[in-house]
Amino acid sequence: MRAPQSIKQEFLKKWILGLQLCDFAKQNMSMLERKKAIKLSADIAIASTRNGMTCWSRALVAKASRDYGDKVLVERMLASESEKLKKVSSIGLIAPNKWVIIRSKKILRKSRRARRVRSSVPQSVLAKSIAKKMVKKRTQVLKSLVPGGEFMDDISLIEETLDYIISLRAQVDVMQTLAKATDLLNERAKVQAQVGHLALAAESTASPTARLISDPSEAFFKQTRESPQVTRHQGHRSSS
Amino acid sequence: MESPAGPGARSSLTGPQPHETGLDSLQFGEDIQHLISVPPENASSFTALLELPPNQAVELLHSPDSSLRSRNVIEAHQQKPYLEPHFNAANLMFPTNSGLIERAARFSVFAGENLNNITNNSPETSSVPSNSSANLEKVVKSEPAEPESFLNPLQPLVSDPTTVENGAQNQRPVKRKEREKKGKGSTKKSKSSANEKSEDGEKLPYVHVRARRGQATDSHSLAERARREKINARMKLLQELVPGCNKISGTAMVLDEIINHVQSLQRQVEFLSMRLAAVNPAIDFNFDSILAAESGSLMDSNFHSMAMPLMWPEVQVNGNRQNYEQQWQFDALNQLVWGREDDSYNFITPENSLLSYDSSANSASLRSNHLKMEL
Repeated sequence: MRAPQSIKQEFLKKWILGLQLCDFAKQNMSMLERKKAIKLSADIAIASTRNGMTCWSRALVAKASRDYGDKVLVERMLASESEKLKKVSSIGLIAPNKWVIIRSKKILRKSRRARRVRSSVPQSVLAKSIAKKMVKKRTQVLKSLVPGGEFMDDISLIEETLDYIISLRAQVDVMQTLAKATDLLNERAKVQAQVGHLALAAESTASPTARLISDPSEAFFKQTRESPQVTRHQGHRSSS
Repeated sequence: MESPAGPGARSSLTGPQPHETGLDSLQFGEDIQHLISVPPENASSFTALLELPPNQAVELLHSPDSSLRSRNVIEAHQQKPYLEPHFNAANLMFPTNSGLIERAARFSVFAGENLNNITNNSPETSSVPSNSSANLEKVVKSEPAEPESFLNPLQPLVSDPTTVENGAQNQRPVKRKEREKKGKGSTKKSKSSANEKSEDGEKLPYVHVRARRGQATDSHSLAERARREKINARMKLLQELVPGCNKISGTAMVLDEIINHVQSLQRQVEFLSMRLAAVNPAIDFNFDSILAAESGSLMDSNFHSMAMPLMWPEVQVNGNRQNYEQQWQFDALNQLVWGREDDSYNFITPENSLLSYDSSANSASLRSNHLKMEL
């Protein structure tokens, strides 16, 4: 099993590269467009950690390359990747005959459903058939969830799901960390701005130690460390 | 006579290689090796049972037809338990291990199927062998694609050019199924009616093969059983992975949980990307400045520690508030990452390793100490 740490590190590196390639300086970037770009770069990054070994990663890249606007970004991101992914992004995933097979299967399934035959079977076999139908329904849903799942048989579907879940978890963890970090940074920036105001205000009236702080970046912390002193000073002054 | 001709032809096939040791390997579990440990016996009786001339077997083995090949492999397995799975390989191994052969002989389906195929006297059952072989091939072809080393019952049928490990790792589908069947209780109800001597006994009365009690001897069901076992093995792994699935029994419910899990993860990705998009674009500038300063040593997991020293000098030079904010954002990011020991989330740890900041090696360590105190 791959170590989850290594997946996360690889994903983060590739994602950062991708975000760089994304042109965030464009003026017309609404939030939705930004979100799409972020999501796209995250998806391509997590798919490229797989290096084209798994079906879902190739399918993800193929899906992303379908839209021309995203294809450029995809190709740029995958510039240093293995040949498989590059081929997938240029060619696409599935040969046409596979689609024919899938479509014919769907037709068969519909015709079977239309043929409502009341089968008089013993109870045990009936239970089995019901269970089979339930499992079949759920595998259909799973196939629609996992990228590229339509083209896999049951066994490889389960393996792909396994791999996909692991990669998704890594992706979510890294994104969560980044989101929390940026939130905290914004908070700090706000607090710092407020304290900066205080520092400027305090400088005019405060003790000489505060004045020694030449750059406001230190003001934040010096201020907090010495605020008791300052207040004590002020207290002294007021009391005396 | 068959019997004298049998060993003779077999020895010619074996060639100079020793039996039982030069087996090609495929990836099988060590439990397969139990089968290997059966003492070798005289295997000549088996071909007598089958009454198949060995040269015909050889010819069938080397036939280019793939559907025939799988059956031939199985049949050759019956003659010789250890057979190299690579169809084009010339070094076919025919060790004399009739203990295994007899176990294989109990699978009337293979015997019957091969014999039916070879003797061509059962048009009605020919569809069954072709189906089963198709199943086997299909099942078997999916084997090499898997990334995990699962126990693969049908892997020998794949022409798998894997490394040659010790001989004990070679496998036959028949033997694996034998072992699996033995693992199960004998109370398993079979779908088909054949329990003891299979229906093949009618066509070829001299085939003395015995099926396990209560189990179907149909090759169809054998292949299905192998497939089901594979699926169950993988489902177990999935159950372990997805939280809360261990207590649930039943494939449908487990699949429900898996689907829910995947959906929730995908939704989380959407929300997180929305959240990140809502952040002011400063974070992107930060990355840009980091990577500009870094320029290429991104492969180093401590890339941030190298970037930070380069950024510190900018703090003194630049009096811009905006710039300070950016610097502080980075600094605080670092701080957040290695300052937050009380954070119980384990996702913080990759950030720790990735953005680790060696404060001692830095001239700005004083400032970082301030930060630490602040936190």
